[in-house]
Amino acid sequence: MEALLDQLLNIGELLLQNGAEISRVEETISRMGMAYGAVEMQVFVITYSIVVSMKMPDGRVLTQTRRITRPAGTDFLRLEACNALSRRCCRTPLPLEELTAEVERIRTRSNSRLRIYGSSMLAVGSFTLFFGGGPADMLVSMAFAALTCLLQEYLMPICMNRVIFNLICSLLIGLGTCGCVLLFPVLQLDKIMIGYIMLLIPGLAMTNSVRDILVGNTISGALLLTESLLWAGALASGFMLAIWITGV
Amino acid sequence: MREIVTQLLTAFLGSLGFAILFHLRPRLLPWAALGGFLCWGCYLACCGYLEGVFFPCLLASAFAELYAEVLARLLRAPSTLFYVPAVIPLVPGGSLFHAMSAAVRNDWAAASAYGTTTGLSALGIAIGMSLI
Repeated sequence: MEALLDQLLNIGELLLQNGAEISRVEETISRMGMAYGAVEMQVFVITYSIVVSMKMPDGRVLTQTRRITRPAGTDFLRLEACNALSRRCCRTPLPLEELTAEVERIRTRSNSRLRIYGSSMLAVGSFTLFFGGGPADMLVSMAFAALTCLLQEYLMPICMNRVIFNLICSLLIGLGTCGCVLLFPVLQLDKIMIGYIMLLIPGLAMTNSVRDILVGNTISGALLLTESLLWAGALASGFMLAIWITGV
Repeated sequence: MREIVTQLLTAFLGSLGFAILFHLRPRLLPWAALGGFLCWGCYLACCGYLEGVFFPCLLASAFAELYAEVLARLLRAPSTLFYVPAVIPLVPGGSLFHAMSAAVRNDWAAASAYGTTTGLSALGIAIGMSLI
């Protein structure tokens, strides 16, 4: 039973780290617990922690907590897979070994590098044009989008937290962009920068946090809101520092 | 007119980019990109009748949520998969940048005006998505 609870927490963790709402995580864990024979499920989830108590028919109560350390990203494939798995288990509970294997399989299905680089460049290039940039602006912003992905891949793991990372990343990219604008004055600095602000800005985290607050998950919402404001602040400071240093 | 076409087209491509970045199944990609296109179209249409950014953002976000819910039923997938890429073009990256750059130039009047716009659009998106 302890091993089962551990797997339930694994699924909760996967959901939470790949962009699921708090209410969805709580619901999934408690439904699956009931499907596996618990008579009562007490689930409490906030952005960085999951607490689950499972009451069994014989009166025993099992409790486990899980600290979530890695900051959340978004991965729809894993989200869908977790969802499908939980639906399947609610219909007919899978044996524990099978459940463990399935969870492990979902965990290893990460997005490919080519897709991450390509799609970041596509997104940033599109939004540079969207906000009124020209083809030259688009090319520059796409080049720096690739650099952003490189930084995310290699610099992020050694950074203390997202705030520091956003600050360093936006400062480096800002300096690079300002340099390009100094060399080629036809480029429009604001359009290029807005393009990858759209990529780096925690706009979704911010919107999700307001939704969390509105549906009653106040702690998680407030936590996420504070955090995303800090990230956005760090991002803006980095860019502004670059503009101020180069005097563009 | 040309500007509107460019915006709609790049909203489509931008949403597509984010959908791929967020690891959406390839089969669902066209729907997610279409969501961005329609959501921005809805925003532009609302801007013709309403002043400011708050209500257009709210309505466009509510529209995106409706679109996502309908597709979720039809294609049997969670609605977040369609809502998140659709609403991306509404994210106030532009006004955030202008607020910050005004602040660097010590132009506090412009900074607070752009800052308010940023906050109002974020609030509009959030309220719009909770409506439906």
